[in-house]
Parts: sequence; C-alpha cells; structure tokens
Amino acid sequence: MIVEGQIHGGVAQGVGQALFEGAEYDENGQLTNASYMDYCMPRADDFPMFETGSQVTPCPHNPLGVKGAGEAGTIGSPPAVVNAVLDALWSGGHKVKDIRMPLTSERVWRAMQ
Amino acid sequence: MIPVSFDYQKVKTVDEAIAALSNDNSKILAGGHSLLPAMKLRLSQPSKLVDIAAIASLKGIKEEDGEIVIGAGATHADIAGDKLIKSKLPFFAEGASMIGDVQVRNHGTIGGSLAHADPAADWPALVLAADAAIEVQGSNGKRRIKATDFFTGLFSTSLQDNEIIVAIRIPVPAQGTKTSYQKFSQPASRFAIVGCAVMRFPDGKTNIAFTGVSDNAFRDSNAEAVVSGKVISNDSIAAAAKAAVQSVNILSDHYASEEYRKHLAKVYLKKALQAVA
Repeated sequence: MIVEGQIHGGVAQGVGQALFEGAEYDENGQLTNASYMDYCMPRADDFPMFETGSQVTPCPHNPLGVKGAGEAGTIGSPPAVVNAVLDALWSGGHKVKDIRMPLTSERVWRAMQ
Repeated sequence: MIPVSFDYQKVKTVDEAIAALSNDNSKILAGGHSLLPAMKLRLSQPSKLVDIAAIASLKGIKEEDGEIVIGAGATHADIAGDKLIKSKLPFFAEGASMIGDVQVRNHGTIGGSLAHADPAADWPALVLAADAAIEVQGSNGKRRIKATDFFTGLFSTSLQDNEIIVAIRIPVPAQGTKTSYQKFSQPASRFAIVGCAVMRFPDGKTNIAFTGVSDNAFRDSNAEAVVSGKVISNDSIAAAAKAAVQSVNILSDHYASEEYRKHLAKVYLKKALQAVA
C-alpha cells in the first residue's frame, strides 16, 4: 500500500514536470507564475487510474533488505510522457525530435508549425 | 497572504447595501472568490466589506415578461443546475459548469464575476452573446446597462461607485435558437485563455463573443457579419474564423503568447460555430 501510493505520487510528480510545471520569469527577472492560480500542479482529475507492478528483490547492503521506492515513478514518467508526445508528432508527419519541458500546449503547437 | 484590516457589515436588503456603500473605500462582498484572493495579495485594500450574500431578493432564476431573470447572487452552481437555464440558455449552464472548481462554483456568483470584469472570466462572453442587460441599482434607483456597454476595459465596467448589480436579464430566445460556449482553460486557474460564446437565432442572426482574448470581453462584429443570415458551412466557418479577432489588442502572458491566443480564438470560434450549425 505504501509502495503503491509512493509510485502513484511519483508518477504524478513526473507527469507534472513533463506537462505543466515550470518557473517562468519575465525580462526583469520577476517570477510570473508565483501562485497556484498561475503555476499548474497536476491534480487528481488530470490522471486516469493507475495500475502498478513491481519486481521485488531484497537490498543486499543493509540488514533489513529495504530500499526506497517513491522516486521510481518520478524517474520513469517524464521520459514516458515526452516520448509519447514526440511519437505522436512524428507519426503525424511533424519531424520533431525535441521539445523543452514542460510541454505546454503552445510549445507543442509551435513544434507543429 | 494576510489582508490589511477592514470593517465588515452584513446587510439584508439592497437599499441597506447601497447606504453602506456611501463610505468611500468600501467594497461589496458576494461569493468572495475574486475579491478575497486579491485582498490577500494586497492588490485590493478596501476599508470596509459590505456582505450581500444574505440578500434574499438577489437569489433565484425565473422567467418574467419575456425575459429570463438571473439574480445577481445566483452562484455558478445554481445556474449550471437550473432547469429553465438548461432548456432555454443551455450555454449558460455549460459555461457555468466550466468555471473554476466545485468550491468556486458553489460560492462564486454571476453578479460578482460581472462586476469584477476579469478579462479571462467566462460570464462576460456569455452575457454579451445572449444580448443580456445588466440591471443595477444605486441611490438614484434602478437602471439597465446593455452588456455591450458594460465592459469598458481591464477589470473595468460602467458601474458607478454606489451601484450594485441586482439581476441579469436575457430576452427569452425564440424556439430553435442554438447556443454554444467553447473554452480553452488555463490549466492551473481554469480561467479562459480563450472562451467563445455563440448564439444563433432561427432567422440566422448570429451573436459571437470572446473572453480571455483582450482587455475585456467583446462582441466580434466582423465574424458575426460573415455568418449572420447565411448557412453555416465549412466555407462560412473558415471565413468567419479568418475575419475574427482582427481589430482588437490581443493579450499575451507566460502561458499563451499573442500569436498562439489569436490562433486559439479562431479554433474555438470554429468549434462553437460547428456546434450551432
């Protein structure tokens, strides 16, 4: 239960980084998305239900055999989302190899021009 | 995130509210979902809040003398779930259900949103497209302001200092009128980056209004002229999109540049016209 919850949260954090989250500054160095009215964190209704799977092996380097789990979701989800977008663009005929995160709708639109 | 200190007065009638507003720097508190965040950021520093949430005469939605009358104190959720609105002004119900989140819809009011005149709010486009009149009351009595005369700029309206909005009045649309509200939301706030409201009457007259695009919501007469009285087809939709948002100053922010916003306005106009075709 703890591990599954950690993975869910980690995946959400990574998808947030891939699609929404980024500190934006204007030319004077003023942060322009300093509140949650402007800075988008992913929310529950941005996600489908998760199904997780795990391959469990004990850690050989400590007596309890335990290891961290939460970061696994965070590490995997940004490249999964970004590659999915690039694959969709590529198969739609747009020869795009790279888009800077977060993949806001305007950045994706510009990549298609 | 803490507002400066202020006085607070709860009133029971519109007359009491108008009397309470004679104090210089006082502000009306309705749902509080625009005003209180602004006060917490100290962008707004009223010396007194006049709470009108308990005024019974501002509540309710009814049909009266050929008009749909929405009390200024009706919440977004009240309007989204109202039977009369769903059958006669369906885009009001659709638009209301897209505002903010559940908490905002349960507390925020249509009158509060219109008075605040946020350039990205949904109601301004909807009332403009519906040929609504904003009924206001002040120390000199009541008057009606056409929606097209109401929004005068960024967070600016033609409301006078001691006036409060009491109702929104919309002529009951003829049988067969079609409406649509299409919105592209800012993902964080869910305000409109672009909102396009279209009302098409059985005789072909077509009202088109945008919000989120410029300093204030506006009717797009160039686009209206292309489709009014004509069949809506792929060709006329494309021509209307081409004519749209030509003579306005287009907003630009960290989420959507001027160029992208202009593109979105045309795309969302197309969606709205397809929905009423």
